Amino acid sequence: MAQRRIELPQGTLDLLILRTLALEPQHGWAISERMQQISSDVLLVQQGSLYPALHRLERRGWIKAKWGTSENNRRAKYYQLTKTGRKQLELEKDSWHKLTAAIAQILETA
Amino acid sequence: MFSDLFYRLRAFLRREAMESEADAELRFHFERQVEKHLKTGMTREEAVRRARIEFGGHEQLKEEIRDARGVNLVETLFQDIRYGLRILARTPVISCVAVLSLALGIGANTAIFSLIDTVMLRMLPVQKPEELTQVRMRDPRSPNEEPEGTFTNPLWEALRDRQDFYSGIFAWSWAQFDLSQGGAVHDAKGMFTSGDYFSTLGIRPAAGRLLTADDDKRGCPAVAVLSYGFWQEHFGGAPSAVGGTLSLDNHTFGVIGVSAPGFFGLDVGNKFDVAIPVCAAQIFDGPRTRLDRRSWWWLNVAGRTKPGVGAEELKTRLGVVSPQIFAAALPADWEAKDQQGFLRRTFEPSPVATGTSYLRKQFRQPLHVLMGVVGLVLLIACANIASLMLARASARHREIAVRKALGASRARLIRQLLTECVLLSTAGALLGFFFARWGSSLLVRYISTGDNKVFLDLSFDWRVLSFTAGIAVFTGLLFGVLPAFRSTRVSLTSAMKGSQAVDAESRTKFRPGKWIVASQVALSLVLLVASGLFLRSLVKLVTLDVGFDRNNVLIVRANLHNAKVPPEQQPAMFDEIESRLHALPGVVSASRSVMTPVSNYIWNNFLDVDTPNAPTGDAALAFFNFISPRYLETVRTPLLAGRNFNDGDSKTAQRVAVVNETLARRFFPNGDALGKYFRVHPDPGKPALPIQIVGLAKDAKYASLREEAHATAYFPIAQMPEDAEEQVFELRTSARPSALISSVQEAVAGVSKAVPLEFHTLAEQVDDSLVQERLLATLSTFFGGLALVLAMIGLYGALSYLVSQRQPEFGIRMALGAPRGSILRLVMRDVAVVLAGGLAAGTCLAMATVGVLQKMLFGLAPHDTFTFVAATSVLAAVAILAGYLPARRAMRIDPMAALRYE
Repeated sequence: MAQRRIELPQGTLDLLILRTLALEPQHGWAISERMQQISSDVLLVQQGSLYPALHRLERRGWIKAKWGTSENNRRAKYYQLTKTGRKQLELEKDSWHKLTAAIAQILETA
Repeated sequence: MFSDLFYRLRAFLRREAMESEADAELRFHFERQVEKHLKTGMTREEAVRRARIEFGGHEQLKEEIRDARGVNLVETLFQDIRYGLRILARTPVISCVAVLSLALGIGANTAIFSLIDTVMLRMLPVQKPEELTQVRMRDPRSPNEEPEGTFTNPLWEALRDRQDFYSGIFAWSWAQFDLSQGGAVHDAKGMFTSGDYFSTLGIRPAAGRLLTADDDKRGCPAVAVLSYGFWQEHFGGAPSAVGGTLSLDNHTFGVIGVSAPGFFGLDVGNKFDVAIPVCAAQIFDGPRTRLDRRSWWWLNVAGRTKPGVGAEELKTRLGVVSPQIFAAALPADWEAKDQQGFLRRTFEPSPVATGTSYLRKQFRQPLHVLMGVVGLVLLIACANIASLMLARASARHREIAVRKALGASRARLIRQLLTECVLLSTAGALLGFFFARWGSSLLVRYISTGDNKVFLDLSFDWRVLSFTAGIAVFTGLLFGVLPAFRSTRVSLTSAMKGSQAVDAESRTKFRPGKWIVASQVALSLVLLVASGLFLRSLVKLVTLDVGFDRNNVLIVRANLHNAKVPPEQQPAMFDEIESRLHALPGVVSASRSVMTPVSNYIWNNFLDVDTPNAPTGDAALAFFNFISPRYLETVRTPLLAGRNFNDGDSKTAQRVAVVNETLARRFFPNGDALGKYFRVHPDPGKPALPIQIVGLAKDAKYASLREEAHATAYFPIAQMPEDAEEQVFELRTSARPSALISSVQEAVAGVSKAVPLEFHTLAEQVDDSLVQERLLATLSTFFGGLALVLAMIGLYGALSYLVSQRQPEFGIRMALGAPRGSILRLVMRDVAVVLAGGLAAGTCLAMATVGVLQKMLFGLAPHDTFTFVAATSVLAAVAILAGYLPARRAMRIDPMAALRYE
């Protein structure tokens, strides 16, 4: 496994969490697994850092939490996107696209 | 924002539950991760190890979650408050001094601000006040002057009937009514209101009904509406008052209703007791009523703009209708030149949402000056507390070092220290609020005079509350920030090493303390200079040679019109009363006149003389009084030459006058006024009789103490051109004037029981004209003194602290043979440096700012040397005393004891 992993840029973790939850409500572990899978293990997310982020998002009212039963029949905390969260996701996606496009342009031409 | 706060609070209150939830959540994740690794064939041990590395520290994570949830913020806030209270309670004296000085500062600021708020900023308690505009008149000949706001009744009626841009328009006028029927006057504040007054303002009745357009028709019946306050005070709120009657100036009015509570009229500073329709003026005036008079200016006019009519449009349309309205109300008897001017006037709207007020004109500047004064006091109080905090923070040096060593962040420590400050300032603000309530009503009582009771609705509104809250936070930060930042900048090693090192360091640390004390001295000097200037102005005004003797003079105002005495019988009755009063025991001399000195009333006109280069324009204006022969003797205005009036100067005899020095000098510069003649500019259609000057009197103040002497002419009261149905008796008494009131009442009742009498003393009347000066002098002296005390506490505290810190050093110096005097000099040198710096800065600051006081001073320039020198010396003397006490303590240190210390 010689592949180099990339640390997440500041602030992008929130965006990734929101995007992951956009599909369906999930618990913490599943979010972390999914992010790993989709990014083909390129992104390095310290698993623990997910939780403060989740609580922060909940405080902001972008996601809400509910206790439910997991696929292996255990009690787990499920997170789901709220309406404002969905709006926020669109906003952040948008600004992310603008940012990356701008940076790409600079890298190409400068 | 709210959901966030709510979340944090819930997180805080349910922290046990949430803690265990977070625990369970983290454990769940961890176990799933272990399972995952087990599936790939790792040993259990290996799987747990991997999961742990991937996951990070459990406890550390929980702390981060707590932070993310915002629990910490709330929790530490409570911790800080609890800890702060404990710290403050540990030094109760210092804390009390701090809270008390803050309370005084904040209370004074709130009190003055609440006055500014009520007088100048607050909206009227009526429906949509922003739609109201007052109608005023601009004279094109004096475009820079304030437009005039008083109307004649014909002018008001013409405007009312010829406009269509106001949805409601109304007029009002203030009046004083006597409720008694003879004997001592019992005044009620009356208001003439036109028919649509209450309906346009949207005022509801509290009982009965209010005046309507139907009540305001010529020849209307005498009906009245009571204000809620008057109803409560006078009738105990009895429902039977409505339908009852009330005597106003000896005329009976039927009470038809009571207006809603909280409405006092449109003029801030006044409140009405009774409102009667404008048409009722005829009942008081008789056939020559002011309702028809085209040069009797008495009404104010305001209206509510129709929806859709903007401010600009209103102005244009008022301008358009102006010519025809002024033409309709043109005073026929005016000279052609004045009529032309009258016709060229235009109406102008001015916003009246905050009401109108004579108080604004009179007290705007004094209130702003006082606001500045109390602002300075608050700054000084802050500086005081800042130096206290600084001293205490240095004493907590080691505590802070220990906390830092244990891992507290600097931000956390600063927050803790600032919390303590905000606690202090909050306590100060709460207490200050009570001071303010008490202080502002005291102030209102102070600016009320015998003749003019000021009424202000002082209930605090949101503006005052937020002002107080604002300065509480602001002051807390102001005196907290510097100590908090300084004291948390600790070098751990030196702090842990021991106290000697700390002491060496804190000697340099005293420097900001010095700065604070120096700035206190500077600010105090500014206040002392200001109060010195005001005091000296007042003293100059009070000790001024006014040209009459104000002491021991009782003034009795008698109104024979209200007593319903026929005009032709009045002169004889006034004569009779005067001679009875003169004969009263205890009366040295009694006289009567139309005017009294410094009384707010003036009577003036232009004089014509035949001499070459006679004064013209304003220089030809002279001020009049009509007096009985004993007047000059009674008020003690000396007659310098010629003769006094006597009984021979009757209505049919040659017209004569006694003039003052200024009149004589101005109209007869050759010094030969006696025996010469002048004429008074006549009313249209009336002859101007020549008046001979028979006497010369000393200059006396006429309308105000501040005026330059006016040209004044005294005429025999028997030769009055028209009847004065209200005249004033002056009684020079041998003892306290007010002791004579009952015998005067008896004497007058011996002539007629129906005559209403009003009593003052001349001294009161003169004093009342100095309300503004006295207010400024008293308050600035009070606050100047307060500032002085605060600054001295600051200096004393800072020096005591310095001395206690340097005790070991002084001990060593003495042990090595330094004489005690040199220790004293050492400390006093510090005092001298601080004092010199503060005084220099304060002098510059005062020089730069006192210019704004110019208009409020009398008889001295703002840069009055005496005041500056006096203020500086007082401050220096007190500062040296405050510094000497700790210095003496330093000198008496026992070297052995000092060295044993530590």
